[in-house]
Amino acid sequence: MTEITLEMARKALRASRRWAKDIAGVPCSIAVVDKSGIVVAAERMDGAGAATIDIAIEKAWSVISFQMPTLLLARMIDPRFIGQQLGDHGMGLVTKGKGRLTFIAGGVPILSEDAEIIGAVGCSGVPSGVGDISDTSVAQAGVSALFD
Amino acid sequence: MRMNIELATKIIDASIEHAKTIGICCSVAVVDEYGWLIALHRMDGALSPTADIARDKAWTAAVFKKPSADVAMFGVPSQPGAGFNTSNWNDRLTVIPGGLPIHLNGEFLGGVGISGGTPEQDTSVCKAAISRLTDGQV
Repeated sequence: MTEITLEMARKALRASRRWAKDIAGVPCSIAVVDKSGIVVAAERMDGAGAATIDIAIEKAWSVISFQMPTLLLARMIDPRFIGQQLGDHGMGLVTKGKGRLTFIAGGVPILSEDAEIIGAVGCSGVPSGVGDISDTSVAQAGVSALFD
Repeated sequence: MRMNIELATKIIDASIEHAKTIGICCSVAVVDEYGWLIALHRMDGALSPTADIARDKAWTAAVFKKPSADVAMFGVPSQPGAGFNTSNWNDRLTVIPGGLPIHLNGEFLGGVGISGGTPEQDTSVCKAAISRLTDGQV
């Protein structure tokens, strides 16, 4: 597994969608990007907010741009951590990336067997904070399906 | 009836099938009646800018309710709409052929945009997908 194909992307979308429907119970949008950050497949479930598909794409793009899950990106700009872990300048990142950088949890990288990031899955539309029900868990369900 | 994910997936599957038969790699975007994206799939081998271009074509076809190529008619100097290209259309306005509005049973549902081949090839993929949908073949 070195590259995201459309077939793989669709497999991830299917798994994420099933998780969102059956476990989270919330309609949402899911996007899969390749290692250059460009969309391979993106879908908005019926009933999901119209803008969520853009946010899902941008979460996946943000994963590629910093090579880390957006959950960690969110930590970067968390004022509680400034000066402790990642230097003093994390907050300045919010204006970068032509407005595309997204600091909201819900973007998860897809790793190859060599632990190289070959793509990412982003999800948006699921209210977070209720146990396993979050954008991240929906995205992770898609990533996990690729390794079945 | 409104555009939904099931219908969008059918259109995309039909498009990709036809794109394979004419031998092009393309991106397919389906938007709802307001131009909001429902689904966007990029075939293996399709160049990266095609994803955004397909979406732009679908948006243009949906919001103007006419093929994206026909939108160019507003811009000709003899028409009252001359200069419309200077408005900020969400940065999505395009007059490249390859975006068509989707009508099913007389109802307007949204738009489909294809990018990856020549403008003629893109349009033929759009047409094939829509006609397969209206014929109930997918």
